[in-house]
Amino acid sequence: MTEQDELARRIVKLLDESAEDIGRAQRERLSAARQAALARHRAAPLAAWAPAWAGAISRFTEHRAFGVRYLIPIAALVLGLASVVYVHSNGTSSDIADIDAGLLTDELPINAYLDKGFDSWLKRSPR
Amino acid sequence: MPFTGAREGKPEDASRRGRLEPPIKTKASALATRKELSDFLAEVERRAYKQALFAIRDDHLALDIVQDAMLKLSEKYSARPASELPLLFQRILQNAIRDFYRRQKVRAMWTTPVSALFGADNEDEHDPFETLEVQSESKSLEPPPDQLARAQVLGIIEKALEKLPARQRQAFLLRYWEEMDVAEAAKVMGCSEGSVKTHCSRATHALAAMLEKQGIKL
Repeated sequence: MTEQDELARRIVKLLDESAEDIGRAQRERLSAARQAALARHRAAPLAAWAPAWAGAISRFTEHRAFGVRYLIPIAALVLGLASVVYVHSNGTSSDIADIDAGLLTDELPINAYLDKGFDSWLKRSPR
Repeated sequence: MPFTGAREGKPEDASRRGRLEPPIKTKASALATRKELSDFLAEVERRAYKQALFAIRDDHLALDIVQDAMLKLSEKYSARPASELPLLFQRILQNAIRDFYRRQKVRAMWTTPVSALFGADNEDEHDPFETLEVQSESKSLEPPPDQLARAQVLGIIEKALEKLPARQRQAFLLRYWEEMDVAEAAKVMGCSEGSVKTHCSRATHALAAMLEKQGIKL
């Protein structure tokens, strides 16, 4: 053992004694902190891929039926997907798409040619 | 021969800080049980408090930091084997201390100009006897002059540790007090093994010089 290690060992020995001699208030506070930490100890921890906030929900639901903490996020996901499908399947956007397609392919309805405004617009336009 | 962390009269491995005795018939990956966590925290809590106190020099804040580190260890790392607890706990504790320094730096940036404008003469008056702790009975068998001398030496050592640069103090305490090997200390400190050795060596030399200046020979 080098001289440096020997000195370190002696210092550490004194530090050990000082750590044993900490005040009663500090000892009680540390003990309370330890108890608080142990109260949060989980025998079966959350899966790594579970949402972070699922832990909070699981504290309320851990004695209930299987997988309640996963049921809520999955239900939210399904509802979200269903609403996206519903919005897309609604007719409003497809009507506009039909008119655009008609204009692009020159399949204009006959009413467009009867409209005088449309006729004058055609004459005024460069092509 | 390098420092091995061996305690007097004990085999090296059994005496290492916070190293829990592996229970019979457990896999290497067995999770820490509540009992193991409790034993581990009871074993390290006082040293952790002292470490935080050396770094922060505020009793209440040091206790807060240790409490936060304990809670974090228990909440986030209960899935880890008991053998990993010492390293994880030290990493959490050292990060908490470093975060405190950062917050303090940011706060100082704002509060210094403000206190310069409005003055800061509202220091609390307190009775020094309120903080006087009664000595524990364990030392009562020692003659009073010896107790006094020991307390004085300890006070000087603790002051010297507080004066050390943060990284040197961290390396010294991890390596010698927590009895981590160089690789473990490097992991906790987030630096190379060479840096740990350098910090340790400088810390020990600085402590030796400070003690010598005070006329103390250990």
